[in-house]
Amino acid sequence: MVISADLITGILSFLFTLLILSYLIGDNPLFRIAIYIFVGASSGYIASVAWWQVIWPRLVSPLMFGSMLEKGLLLIPLIGSILIFMKVSPRLAGMGRIAMAYIVGVGAAVTIAGALSGTLMPQVMGTINAFDLVAAAGRNIEAVEVVFNGALILAGTVFTLIYFHFGARPQADGSMKRFRLIEILSWGGHIFIGITLGAIFAGVYAAALTALIERIASLINFIGNFL
Amino acid sequence: MADVIKCPVCGESNLPDQEFCQYCQSRLQPLTGSLKGANDPIKPGQAPTKKNTAELEPILPQWLRDARDSARKSAEDNAAQAGSQPQESFNTSPPDLLAGLQSQSGSDEEETPDWLANITGAAPKAKKPQAESPEVRWVELGGAKDFPQEESAKEEPEEEPFTPSWLTGLTPTESSSDVKDELTDWFRQENDSQKSQQSSESQPAPFDTSFSASESSDTPDWLKKMAADNPQNDDALFSDASKVFETPSSDTPDWLRQMAAEDDNAPILSAGTFDAPTSTPSSSGDAQPDWLRAMADSQDRPQDALPTQSADSASFSELTFDEPPTGIASEAVKSATNDNVPDWMKGFQSTESEELVQSETPAWLKKEDEPAPSAETEAPAWLSSMPATESEPEQAPAQDDAAFGDIPSWLKAAAPQSSLYEESAAEDLPLPASDSSPDSPDWLNTFKSTEISFEGPPPAFTPDSQSNENIDALFAEMPDWLTNATDPSPSTSTSPIPAANTDENIAPGELPSWVQAMRPVDTGSARSSSSPSASGDRTLESRGALAGLQGVLPSVPGFTPTSKPKAYSIKLQASEEQQAHAGLLEQILAAETAPVPIASFSALTTSRNLRWFLSFALLAVITTVLFMRGQSFPMPVGVPREINGALQVSQSIPEGAPVLVAFDYEPARAGEMEATAAPIFNVLRQPNLTFISTNEMGSILAERFISGPLADPDQSGFQYLNLGYLPGGQMGIRAFAQNPTRTTPQLVDITSLSQFMALIIITDNADSARAWIEQTSSIGNAIPILIISSAQAAPMIQPYYESQQVGGLVSGLYGGAVFEQNNGGVPGITRTYWDAYSIGMLLAMALIVGGGLLNLALGLRDRAAMRESN
Amino acid sequence: MRVFTAVIAIAAGILILGGYFLQGLFPALADVQTLLLNWAIILVGAATLVGIFNLISVHTDKVRRREKGSTYSAILVICLVVTLLLGMILRPDHSAMEIVMNGIILPSEAALMGLLTISLLYAAIRLLRRRTDLMSIIFLITAAFLIFSFATLPFANIPALGTVGRWVTQVLALGGARGILIGVALGTLTTGLRVLFGADRPYGGN
Repeated sequence: MVISADLITGILSFLFTLLILSYLIGDNPLFRIAIYIFVGASSGYIASVAWWQVIWPRLVSPLMFGSMLEKGLLLIPLIGSILIFMKVSPRLAGMGRIAMAYIVGVGAAVTIAGALSGTLMPQVMGTINAFDLVAAAGRNIEAVEVVFNGALILAGTVFTLIYFHFGARPQADGSMKRFRLIEILSWGGHIFIGITLGAIFAGVYAAALTALIERIASLINFIGNFL
Repeated sequence: MADVIKCPVCGESNLPDQEFCQYCQSRLQPLTGSLKGANDPIKPGQAPTKKNTAELEPILPQWLRDARDSARKSAEDNAAQAGSQPQESFNTSPPDLLAGLQSQSGSDEEETPDWLANITGAAPKAKKPQAESPEVRWVELGGAKDFPQEESAKEEPEEEPFTPSWLTGLTPTESSSDVKDELTDWFRQENDSQKSQQSSESQPAPFDTSFSASESSDTPDWLKKMAADNPQNDDALFSDASKVFETPSSDTPDWLRQMAAEDDNAPILSAGTFDAPTSTPSSSGDAQPDWLRAMADSQDRPQDALPTQSADSASFSELTFDEPPTGIASEAVKSATNDNVPDWMKGFQSTESEELVQSETPAWLKKEDEPAPSAETEAPAWLSSMPATESEPEQAPAQDDAAFGDIPSWLKAAAPQSSLYEESAAEDLPLPASDSSPDSPDWLNTFKSTEISFEGPPPAFTPDSQSNENIDALFAEMPDWLTNATDPSPSTSTSPIPAANTDENIAPGELPSWVQAMRPVDTGSARSSSSPSASGDRTLESRGALAGLQGVLPSVPGFTPTSKPKAYSIKLQASEEQQAHAGLLEQILAAETAPVPIASFSALTTSRNLRWFLSFALLAVITTVLFMRGQSFPMPVGVPREINGALQVSQSIPEGAPVLVAFDYEPARAGEMEATAAPIFNVLRQPNLTFISTNEMGSILAERFISGPLADPDQSGFQYLNLGYLPGGQMGIRAFAQNPTRTTPQLVDITSLSQFMALIIITDNADSARAWIEQTSSIGNAIPILIISSAQAAPMIQPYYESQQVGGLVSGLYGGAVFEQNNGGVPGITRTYWDAYSIGMLLAMALIVGGGLLNLALGLRDRAAMRESN
Repeated sequence: MRVFTAVIAIAAGILILGGYFLQGLFPALADVQTLLLNWAIILVGAATLVGIFNLISVHTDKVRRREKGSTYSAILVICLVVTLLLGMILRPDHSAMEIVMNGIILPSEAALMGLLTISLLYAAIRLLRRRTDLMSIIFLITAAFLIFSFATLPFANIPALGTVGRWVTQVLALGGARGILIGVALGTLTTGLRVLFGADRPYGGN
């Protein structure tokens, strides 16, 4: 009997699905074993990916087979990688700060530019453009609807931002209290955030339900293959 | 020497006009103006002058004033009683060696340490001879019959169980009348002085407790106290030293035994110890310290071999012996006193006859050697009590061993002096030979005359009957410096050594002002200070260092504290406000530790049942629906805007156009993402796909997607390139967007992101979608972005679609179903899952609504019940 | 060291920002940015490996010390090493690795995601018993309604339900989501600027 890769995959898939779903009964060793195997396999796979798809093609291979220019340019990441690997040793972990500082500095700059040009400004403009009747007309949306929806979107955006404004003043009795207007607007932000989180919850549930359906369907399919 | 002032603290020389020591910043000049004139250093040969420091008395500490008062009172009483009952005082009982502690126990203040109190407060107060009962011994070890050794020594003089061999070897040399222990002389002088104290009141007492008249403010209190106790302390120290020498116990150091063995013929208290640094080479072993070797030498040497010793002793006395007995200086001695001899030494010398003075012997040592009668009038009282104690040193050790068994040296040092002085007053009495016991040595027989009425145990310490043993006992634990000072010069001749003979050897010394201030000026007080302890207390100490001692710390009415010790309340003194705050703090702390009942915890008890119910319900429904493969639930109708935009983007992609596809989802959402993305890829017309992933798993998920939902891509005309994992998140995306070829060398034909006709982002994470949008917005703005997201990420991606940064959005199974409905494609995975999905969603909605309302009611009920209970 | 790391972070950040906003004036900044970003990519890959090694060391220590759960740690380490060896030898795109992915990783993760269904449902049901306030009620109502709107009724369809559901998602939820996104962007901006100014040094420079 030839054992195909699909059969092995199906058996493993079936087995691990059941082991994980056994958690519905309660925490049990089978579930834990499956979890630890999953974590180990995932980590091993990620490590192999990091080596074969990052370190080897971007660092080792150019250093071995690349031109002198490539080798010279890769000296810095080579040193940085060595410094990062020093973090494995507690005594030498401090040296890894140099490479980590570089990563953090680059990451901070990238996120700054991305947030500014990719989210902050476009979203502000999008809130403003919600009242764009011309664009709405292009989408066959009535003006009233555009204004009404735009107002709600604007209110939701502003109120939500106000909700996250936690500035307050000390009162006569020593307590801290926000402005009354801020308090009222933040109450409105409360509602919008609740709606948003409700939508996210529904989406998460839908995604989880889809995953559950997919797993049960795979179980049924696996069993059906043997029936 | 006269141009400088020696600092009393550090000993460094300072200019005379300096008020403070330039080395240790100690005060060199007295603060009191009236004393400034009297602050000049004392020159050798200078007679002490009486200082009137009565004005300083108010600033003295209370305990010192009490001690002074007691000393004065005792001096007066003693002066009155010494003449009337001298014999009685000797016959009754030897004074308590520790009697000096009485005054301290009574006059000490709380801050004074015990040891210091013993020293300072031991000023002999009015210790009446009547109080010296037979039970009171000079070292009280309990009852009066607690001296079997002493008795046995008397009964069996041949037996000397506690007398070390080396000490017995010493005795023959000292038993001769010519070779006298200087301490004996001192005691004799003490007696003499006491006898004559009434007649010589004008003369300064050697250790007058009223010396405080010359006390300067620079003098430390402890020194003042010590000065007041000098008579007692000296004798006490001597007695300690004798004890050490006599006791062959394990406490005796080896060196001491060795010294004793070597010094068979030497007096116990060798003068050689006095000139430790400069003594002649010692006959002792090299291991011995210099001073010890010097002691041995001095013991072997004749008396005339003491010039350096005397000089050293003089200098030593300058440095360390801070209680100059200057009060006993007589005119005759003054004339013979060498200038190098300190004044207090002159005082010693004044008690000695000039004819017998040896040129090389220090004055004070010579004085000690002179016979008692010659020192009757001028010798200090405490010194006059010492003369006849040299004979028969063999018996004393046993007696002293028993007497000083467990007594600390300091305690011994503090105790006996008053007894010495008091008993010395009776020394002049004739000593009937008939009283001498046949077993008693000669020296003891001479004292027996004073013990006629004594019926109890032999007195442990009697002034005139001071045996060598007693003297030895007194010197047993004497400090080295004092041992040197009391070293019996071999010249035990009774003639005092003229002080003038020591001019060349004794460097003139300058006594610091504080020493000068301590000089006794009143002999009457000295006599009073030498009065024996009148302690009649028989309290037996049962614990501590004084265990077994009786009357060590007696409470005599005369020595009761003048002021009650300060009463410190142990009750916390706190105001009401402080107590309120403390109570509040206590409440807070108690609240921190107190368990807080959480009412809602009870609601969790049924969670497992509910969980099981939910699990069973969902699994049962979904499994049933999936197993039945039914299509009872219709696909959704209507096309949302974002899905319509996605449809338009996908349809606008030209045939065979390069499309960048980012697989950024976890394997957990593979089922949902594949079901959602498959309809969109079916719309594409033979695209040239490039897969890339910022997720480590994305690469293999792309392969899975290609080999699964999009199976047989060749038939569909798909071409793809999997670039694999792009690390760094936004950094990687930015690098790829900036320069795709450089970032991913596999991508040969594409040099810019804008060369892609569309960017399809398949993600389950809104952050991943945001990263792609943000980092490609400034570069690939021209290419449309189509996002295929999980349902959970859709609400956060929706704003990007509304802001027109994203051309289309298809989210979740619902979006896939809608897209599948409108692209005219064949039913796919979405249709397979839709029934289960719909029933699962409906079931969830029903459970949330129903369960929510039920739990809302239960929650309201619980809160109401809680309110009622509260 | 503190200054040196801060200088590195700030200099790298400034050069990257120059590549964003000044590459029109200084085209070389774009290449510099790409170079720096590619270096960062390599370092991130190295950091990933360091993280895996750290995971191995942690669980190896657990096994060595025989701590509680060391058996599971041993299982983890064994699976990790085996998978790593397979991946290093056969490469990640090998069919064996596909078996690992499709037979272990994906089913496990998907099943865990499926368990989340029960947990979410349970939490939603119990929410109002724990706290009954406006936000909870709105949250639950929205969630229930959207869940309902994402589905279709058997043998029938209610178009208005989808329309209202979409309106809630595209308008009401959009306002809140946009506010959250702007808030996140502002927070990111502030945090990044603090790092570039040296006020925050999350790389260990205090």
